[in-house]
Amino acid sequence: MSNNAPISSKNLTKFYGKHRGISGVNLEINEGEVFGLLGPNGAGKTTCIRIFLDFIRPTSGSATVLGMDSRSESLEIRRNTGYLPGDFITYEKLTAEELLQYFANLRGGHLSKARVLAERFDLDLSRKIGELSRGNRQKVGLIQAFMSDPKLLILDEPTTGLDPLLQQEFHALVLEEAASGKTIFVSSHVLPEVEIICDRVGIIREGSIVAVEEVATLRKQTVTKIAIEFEEAVSKADFEKIAGVSEVAIKDHHLTCNVTGSLDSLIKLAAKYTVVNLQSGHPALEEVFLTFYNQSDETAKTAD
Amino acid sequence: MLLNVYLKSLRDSKKSIIYYSIGTMVLGLYVTLFYPTIRDSTGLTDFLEQLPEAMLAFIGDADTYTTPEGFLNAEVFGFMGPMIFGVFAIIAGAGTIAGEEESHSLDQLLANPVSRKNVLLQKAAALLTGLFVLSIALWIGIIGGSKIAGFGLSLIGTTQAIFSLYVLGGTLGLIALSVGASTGKKSLAGGLTASVGIIGFLLDTFLSVVEALDPLRFISVFYYFNHNDVIINGINPVHCFTLVAVVAIVLIVAVWRFEARDLRN
Repeated sequence: MSNNAPISSKNLTKFYGKHRGISGVNLEINEGEVFGLLGPNGAGKTTCIRIFLDFIRPTSGSATVLGMDSRSESLEIRRNTGYLPGDFITYEKLTAEELLQYFANLRGGHLSKARVLAERFDLDLSRKIGELSRGNRQKVGLIQAFMSDPKLLILDEPTTGLDPLLQQEFHALVLEEAASGKTIFVSSHVLPEVEIICDRVGIIREGSIVAVEEVATLRKQTVTKIAIEFEEAVSKADFEKIAGVSEVAIKDHHLTCNVTGSLDSLIKLAAKYTVVNLQSGHPALEEVFLTFYNQSDETAKTAD
Repeated sequence: MLLNVYLKSLRDSKKSIIYYSIGTMVLGLYVTLFYPTIRDSTGLTDFLEQLPEAMLAFIGDADTYTTPEGFLNAEVFGFMGPMIFGVFAIIAGAGTIAGEEESHSLDQLLANPVSRKNVLLQKAAALLTGLFVLSIALWIGIIGGSKIAGFGLSLIGTTQAIFSLYVLGGTLGLIALSVGASTGKKSLAGGLTASVGIIGFLLDTFLSVVEALDPLRFISVFYYFNHNDVIINGINPVHCFTLVAVVAIVLIVAVWRFEARDLRN
């Protein structure tokens, strides 16, 4: 395969005994992009990542990472790849500095970038990993993934369980690194995170990629739940007329509806009344999926 | 101490190496300092000769028991030495790869540019280094003790016997490491290897008296370790080489299996 894409997979399939991990995954990640693999727990995100890093081997199909075969050239791949899992587990008896030094030694690198990052994330490197809080431990993981300035970063649900402030800092770092030309592959089960940092998203469900979309496109198709409380009675029919608005329900001046894509028309109509309160809910991942499945069902029907 | 996997592994087992080395040195000292009371007790040989064969298989040879080498052969190399070396080696071997895998730190180690084969071999080397330190400590204990107690002891015989003990420990440790690397299961690695040691010990001692079981002693690691009574008769190169060959094969299989299999998540 003469494919120089940072990550490329062809019919990648993995079974654990009889249990499906992934089946027929075709992915093509572009250089310099932040690609999100979005899917619920158990969908196969970690399976993909563990194959890319050669921790497990595909049942069939193949993957190339940085243009190299994931199996035969894994050493060279890992030399140029940073990896951070959702739960960064490592040697608890080492201090953060010792661990980073150890990994830097294995990579033939040094700690200068690690120290800058530690300062930025306000991490005390002299403490033992085992004594660190979950968030601080994850910071160590983050630093070890980024410190060697790898060409590719593979992050498996990196912000799970982190507080929102730390998530924000983390997202900022990812965006900076991406701006400096790195390719970043990140898996997540929460849409908002993917929306913030990714250029493109692949949606994985039950081991198969069901859609790959630009985040902008995905956002247009995303259903947002809106609840508005008005001071006076409003006309249900007026709201039902707006394009993209569905499931309108009104009860005691409370309106709830689902909006696909832009909220602009809805907000402008609502603004004609006195709005007491407005809440928007992030759509559950399931609903994003449903939007996609409905669409692909419809496409299938049209094709029939 | 964090330059590579070998030094990191040594660092991990530093405390264990120190404590076990104190143990082997104390064993060497204790047995040698105790020896003169055995030498001076009259009638012990007569008593031993009356013991049933099965008991003598455990204790050692009645004729040589009161000589320094015979006494050490029974008291250090008959049971206590192999036990200490075996326990150290099996715990270290089972814990080093399978243990890391079960505690989930192996993924992160192997996310670095270091091959599985390389990790396995460096960890094996660390284990052998640990055993070497135990051996030196035992040697110092025995030789030092014999000087203090003021009796002569074959330096070459003692060194060879300790070397044979080292090979036995290495065999058990590397079997445990290999089973662990091949399966990722620490308790299986430890349990299976402990069985190899215990059954081997029984086959070469008590069970060797049962005639039907006698041919089975050839599958016992203890047979190859000290059937020759190394401290008295010198090392048997064929026996020693047999253990080394077994370990080499086990290691080759382990590298192959470890490289080929999926890591456990």
